[in-house]
Amino acid sequence: MSDDSLPLALPLPRWVADSSEVTALYRELRKPLLRYLVCLGLSGDESQDVVQDAFLSLQRHLASAGAEDNIRGWLFRVAHNLARNRQVSYHRRFAEPLDAGFEILAEQATPEQAVLEKEKYRRLLAAVRKLSESERECLLLRASGLRYREIAEVLGMATSTVADTVERAVTKLAEMCNV
Amino acid sequence: MCDREAKLVAWLDGELPGDEAAAIRAHVGECQTCRSRITAYEKVSEDFHLYCNAVFEAGTKPRTLPWIPVLATAAVVIVSFIVYFRTRVAPPRPASAPIVSAQPVPIPAPVSTPGAAPGKAARHKPAPPPGKPHAPQWEPWETSVEIAIPAESVFAPGAMPEGMRLIGELRIGPDGSVRQVRFRQ
Repeated sequence: MSDDSLPLALPLPRWVADSSEVTALYRELRKPLLRYLVCLGLSGDESQDVVQDAFLSLQRHLASAGAEDNIRGWLFRVAHNLARNRQVSYHRRFAEPLDAGFEILAEQATPEQAVLEKEKYRRLLAAVRKLSESERECLLLRASGLRYREIAEVLGMATSTVADTVERAVTKLAEMCNV
Repeated sequence: MCDREAKLVAWLDGELPGDEAAAIRAHVGECQTCRSRITAYEKVSEDFHLYCNAVFEAGTKPRTLPWIPVLATAAVVIVSFIVYFRTRVAPPRPASAPIVSAQPVPIPAPVSTPGAAPGKAARHKPAPPPGKPHAPQWEPWETSVEIAIPAESVFAPGAMPEGMRLIGELRIGPDGSVRQVRFRQ
């Protein structure tokens, strides 16, 4: 999905939307949040709903003079929990074939490269499916650019546990993909 | 197995404190095994990042419902057929089969059916003999049907003489449908 197809209107009242800091936060985190939610298994529409709800929660959080440090981790945690509430679609993505995604990956390649790319991502998908839920979530949040302490806040873990989980997940992927 | 391998991912992610990171950096410069591990971890992390992008693109790409192109194609075909059959020009009739005669066609005598009930009665009319001077100028048909209808059932009481009947002639097309209807006394 192109950025143009995403709603640009900030779902916040004017007194909050006027804040350049919040607007910048929305522009910076909208796509990573959407990507994380889609990778968790939500559809594009569901993900947009969750992002809107997360920013509405941010509005209430700021209006009630809530803590303003680590807003990025806070937003991911709210979005993660909202996605968790949609249990039907939460585990869907990793149970479905991703042929459409592979086609997109191979769009720019020659036919030979496309075959190799598809095979590589099929192996990666098979490896990702063998990871535990926490390992997948840690990897997704790491791929979204979150630091370990932010991942720990989102998933309610200790930072050292996040480090161990990420290490274990990356090692498994490398072994299963024969990298 | 190198005892520093457990920290390599955290070191790659910049999550180790300064002194620990410096120790790992120094170790990696000397350990070939850790260097190859780091290369593998960087590669798989990049692949996973691309994989997430692909999932995101596939999950948010606008989808065209599969039956819409089928319906659109079917609609175009149907409309094309309709336009073609409605606008095509019929071939001219052969000159040997004139439809309009200069002389008025006399109405034949009413056909009476002895013993027929005053209600509706139908019988098949025999085909007119060839060469008859005042044969109807219709196109040849396969079958004709005549129906006797009491005039009282069509006109108001008293408007027509009592006992008069009308004969309806139906022209039947090759497909069995009624092509033309006319009434005579």
